[in-house]
Amino acid sequence: MSPLPQTSSPLRRPARLAVNAGLVIFLALYAAIAFLQPNYLEPGLFMNFLRRAAPLVILACGQLYVILTGGFDLSMGAVATLAVLAASILINGDPETTWAVIGTLYVMGIAVGLVNGLVVAFLKVPSIIATLGAMLSVNGLALAWSGGAARGDLPDNFRNLGRLVWRGVPLVGTLPLAAVVLAGFVALAWWGLNGTVYGKRALAVGDNPRAAELAGTPVAATRILAFVVSAVSAVTAGILIGGFSGVSVNAGEGLELQAIAACVIGGAQLLGGRGSIWSAVFGALSLFALFTLLNLIGLPQALRDSIQGVILIAAVGASLWRTRRRT
Amino acid sequence: MTAAPALSMSGISKAFPGVRALDGVDFDCLPGEVHAICGENGAGKSTLMKILGGSYRPDAGEIRLAGANVHFTHPRQAAEAGISIIHQELSLLPHRTVAENIFMGREIARRGILDRAAMRETAAALLCRIGAQIDPQAPVSSLSIAMQQLVEIAKALLLDARILVMDEPTAALDERDSRALLELVGTLRGEGVSIVYISHRMPEVTAIADRITILKDGRKVWTRPREAAPIGEIVRAMVGRDLEDFYPPPPASPPGAVLLAVKDGANAALRDIAFDVRAGEIVGVAGLEDSGKGALAQALVGDAPFSGGTVALRGRPVALRTPRQATAAGIGYLPGDRKREGLALRQSVRDNALLTLRSMAGLFTRPGRGAFAPRAIDGKLRDMDVRAADFGQEIGTLSGGNQQKAIIVRWLAQASDILVFVEPTRGIDIAAKAAIYRTMRAFADSGRGIVVVSSDMPELIGVADRILVMHQGGISGQLPRGAGEEEVMHLALGLADAPQREARA
Repeated sequence: MSPLPQTSSPLRRPARLAVNAGLVIFLALYAAIAFLQPNYLEPGLFMNFLRRAAPLVILACGQLYVILTGGFDLSMGAVATLAVLAASILINGDPETTWAVIGTLYVMGIAVGLVNGLVVAFLKVPSIIATLGAMLSVNGLALAWSGGAARGDLPDNFRNLGRLVWRGVPLVGTLPLAAVVLAGFVALAWWGLNGTVYGKRALAVGDNPRAAELAGTPVAATRILAFVVSAVSAVTAGILIGGFSGVSVNAGEGLELQAIAACVIGGAQLLGGRGSIWSAVFGALSLFALFTLLNLIGLPQALRDSIQGVILIAAVGASLWRTRRRT
Repeated sequence: MTAAPALSMSGISKAFPGVRALDGVDFDCLPGEVHAICGENGAGKSTLMKILGGSYRPDAGEIRLAGANVHFTHPRQAAEAGISIIHQELSLLPHRTVAENIFMGREIARRGILDRAAMRETAAALLCRIGAQIDPQAPVSSLSIAMQQLVEIAKALLLDARILVMDEPTAALDERDSRALLELVGTLRGEGVSIVYISHRMPEVTAIADRITILKDGRKVWTRPREAAPIGEIVRAMVGRDLEDFYPPPPASPPGAVLLAVKDGANAALRDIAFDVRAGEIVGVAGLEDSGKGALAQALVGDAPFSGGTVALRGRPVALRTPRQATAAGIGYLPGDRKREGLALRQSVRDNALLTLRSMAGLFTRPGRGAFAPRAIDGKLRDMDVRAADFGQEIGTLSGGNQQKAIIVRWLAQASDILVFVEPTRGIDIAAKAAIYRTMRAFADSGRGIVVVSSDMPELIGVADRILVMHQGGISGQLPRGAGEEEVMHLALGLADAPQREARA
């Protein structure tokens, strides 16, 4: 075979657009909300918006880890439900045990994440199937344990994590504790991806696991850790949800799909290799702003799910179209 | 012979990105003729047959069947026109019966219901015609490779194939089965079938072929009747080309201490592998496809590890069970298929060059400081002359040569002792090739070692200090620097006694 002259492809800048896409969508949607309901521009209501959006943003950050490595985690919603139900059963109204139980919740979450990761990394079960199985199992276990209905009780010191709001804070006026948890979690998630080599490994694994493995990357460990982070985020979100919504057997229902949709809206690429923590954060804020907007317009709750489905497809379609156009 | 050719391909050209696979190739085959095609790996044989089979469309040229012009856009059209291709890798469904496989996609049905009895009978008749004693109801997985091959041929005959292409049909067969297959080829020829026979086994080719065509670098060298084509001539035509002078000069000093020593290495694809690599040495590995040369590279880097034997690095035994272990031990891998095995295409040039360093560092290492800092890696990329507008751009946008250089930087940064290159310059332009050879030489001259596996013989001869030639999973011989392509080819074909044969022919 005789070589042809290599044509150098036109030079392209790496896509930084993805980050901005989520932010732009969020700003547009929030502007629409403020147009309908001007008091959303007050710091207090914005903080309240953040408080309610916190679980979704946290879930999206966890989901992003898995998406970057080329997988999905469908078990997040179930883990969040488990966290809520287990907390109310184990604490059962005794504020003394709150912190110990929170520790237990994280241990349970990490266990689920480890199982997901091990199944995906070593049994080579596609993550969408492995975590679907985990979702059903965890949901079933949680329901069986609670007897199918909310039982037990959550003391105030637990619920405060989700609903406590400090007043008279300089600059912002009110500051929900959930917003602080949110900021802390996002900072940690950012650090994991940008402050350690983990983020680059995850991107390489999601982009081309075979090449990563041959280059010496610990592919299995990278994948397993992503599922553990995802489960930890689900427990964290569950704790916040338990705080402001109370105990319910369907506390986490559907959250996994919202988290995936959020990442994609923010510009993360399904099946891995592209995305940043800001994809998750602004994607989740956009999605939550959209829900808020639909509420304000007075759309029935049920239609929200349909719209979420359409958005998920549209976001993935748009990201694939972008990729195709660039290559 | 005056008969109109059953198949005539003229002026066939086909280019893939970066490579001209076929350049104006003419080929024809008469009814009742066995026409063999010989050529090195990458000479264009498979591409030509894929065009004939409708898998690829030629960029130029025409195909005539019994004089009529045809254009295939789908393999099925070629099959319906009477062309059957039996590939090296058999395409049978292992858990279905022989009859079901023979009728796959062309089942006999009556009013929409499968007529199993009719299919069984026809299958039995076809198998009988080719002298195969196979039960049409046996599952394919219970048959030997040789029998499966016969089922493939029966499948081809079902379509009343007028042109039968056999791609390395005896590669997986032992002596006896090969002879039986060749007899069958003779029978089919007697029935007027045109047979295109692709093989690396020279004795077979000269025994069965009526005419022989040699392809090289996508061009036809010659077509001759068997009588005018002794094995020596064929081998010379397959390899003969001018040695380019862009190979670096041999090292001034003899190689140093043994860096890598393999003893009794074996696994499913390899047997009795024993060799060593000395400091400052580039060891080439030659061989035909499926000779085990790729498997040897995979074993050295822990991708498909040795299951027996020992490997020692600098005298110390090492375990190479995973690529990560091999990387930690100091062995780096530059895979032949860069896009699938070498690169994370959507990541930046910088991130690809840093991949191994970051993979071997502690988890909590900052990804952009010290040795990982853009400035540090950019310097290394520039030293290697990787050309990119911005090292932050996706590596998928670079040319093959620049991508390969970036992977070399990855392993230089890791300071590996041994680099295993597979097809280091496949699909790379001449200038980048020269740069890569210079880098390989410089790496070896710095007291480290290289194992380079390649199908490109001039490349091996030009760059390697020593060539190991593989044949059927073992090392069939070792040649010093300065060996000729014909010597390599003889060892690769397993023709230890080739010169005598040549004299006889």
